[in-house]
Amino acid sequence: MEDNLRYVYAVEQFFNECKEEFRFEALTPSLSSPIPITVPDVHRPAFALSGFMEFYLHERIQVIGETEIVYLRSLDPPGQREAVQRLFTKALCCIIIAKGLEPPPDLVPLAIEHGVPVLRTPLLTTPFLHMLADHLEDVFAPRTTVHGSLVDVYGVGLLFSGQSGIGKSEIALDLVERGHRLVADDVVEIIRRGDVLIGRGSEHLRHFMEIRGIGIINVMDIFGIRSVRIQKRIEVEVRLEVWDPKKEWDRLGLDEKHVEMLGTKIRQVVIPIYPGKNITVIAESISLNHMLKVYGIDAAKRFNTQLIDMMESDRKTRRYLKYDTE
Amino acid sequence: MVTGIARVKNKNGIHLRLAGELVKAATRFQSRVTVSKDGREVDAKSILGVAGLGAEFGSELQFRAEGSDENDAVAHLVSLVENEFARETN
Repeated sequence: MEDNLRYVYAVEQFFNECKEEFRFEALTPSLSSPIPITVPDVHRPAFALSGFMEFYLHERIQVIGETEIVYLRSLDPPGQREAVQRLFTKALCCIIIAKGLEPPPDLVPLAIEHGVPVLRTPLLTTPFLHMLADHLEDVFAPRTTVHGSLVDVYGVGLLFSGQSGIGKSEIALDLVERGHRLVADDVVEIIRRGDVLIGRGSEHLRHFMEIRGIGIINVMDIFGIRSVRIQKRIEVEVRLEVWDPKKEWDRLGLDEKHVEMLGTKIRQVVIPIYPGKNITVIAESISLNHMLKVYGIDAAKRFNTQLIDMMESDRKTRRYLKYDTE
Repeated sequence: MVTGIARVKNKNGIHLRLAGELVKAATRFQSRVTVSKDGREVDAKSILGVAGLGAEFGSELQFRAEGSDENDAVAHLVSLVENEFARETN
């Protein structure tokens, strides 16, 4: 399921995906590199340039900013060359020069010699580092694909799961018809950012749906732009199971059930279904009840507290009346 | 038709969780089962019905079952309230 804890990200792909956002300019003719990008972190090689080679994190993208450039400029030409050469004592994926700075004369020729791509961005170093970290975090985020439907119901992302043919798409369609928004049907791509799971449809399938008996439909064309959204945080998994009289279902709601997905937990609600059962209204109730819980209002717990209080006061009243023999 | 009486022995009475367990147990029987307290009778297979009785500590519940397994149903439910629920401390 998790397909990329050691994801490999080619520099060429990175360049193509980011050249507009970061206004990249390639200073080397080739973008193939000795090693691909394998980690979401970046490194400033100032210490390596100055000769301190311990903790030279060469597998990371090397970002050269003003610190490095000013340091190199302070050296005489042979010293400068020697410093730049230190960078290439280990295999690099790529070097990025920020702030549109002019690299020292030896950098690009040495990079070409070692086959390391050099890119340049006009963005200021710190904002660029933040944007780059963001992008890499996204690229390297744990991800998986699940079979199900993701719908935004009253602002809560409900992921419908269950065996094939149980009616996930039909429920999603029914919810859309009632004004809720489809995120993805059949194939949901999930990535984890921090503790949050974000789901979206695959780009090719986006907002298309297969309904048995009709075939392929396009939800956005039928219901309009407000019936769809591109991505949504997943908050509750609604697992649909075929009704089985021998099985027991949660009838209290005092205990929450959770499932683990990509190393984080989300609430799971298991709903038994049978023909004619209105899952749409149940789905809406799941969302609204979930929101109430987020706001600290738990119906089952409140009911129970009220019940216990009531029984306690009944007992006191009874005791009072028992000895009340006037 | 079979009837049986059980006294609630746990301090908190039949709160929601216990009502859930009682209903779960009652549902396993084919018979139609009711439970009543102070003359109010409810379906023993309904959570809100059972919880709504507000069966506090010391109160008396009367079970009534009708069907193929009526004897077992009443015996089991009476024992559940008097023995298992009584062990519940909170």
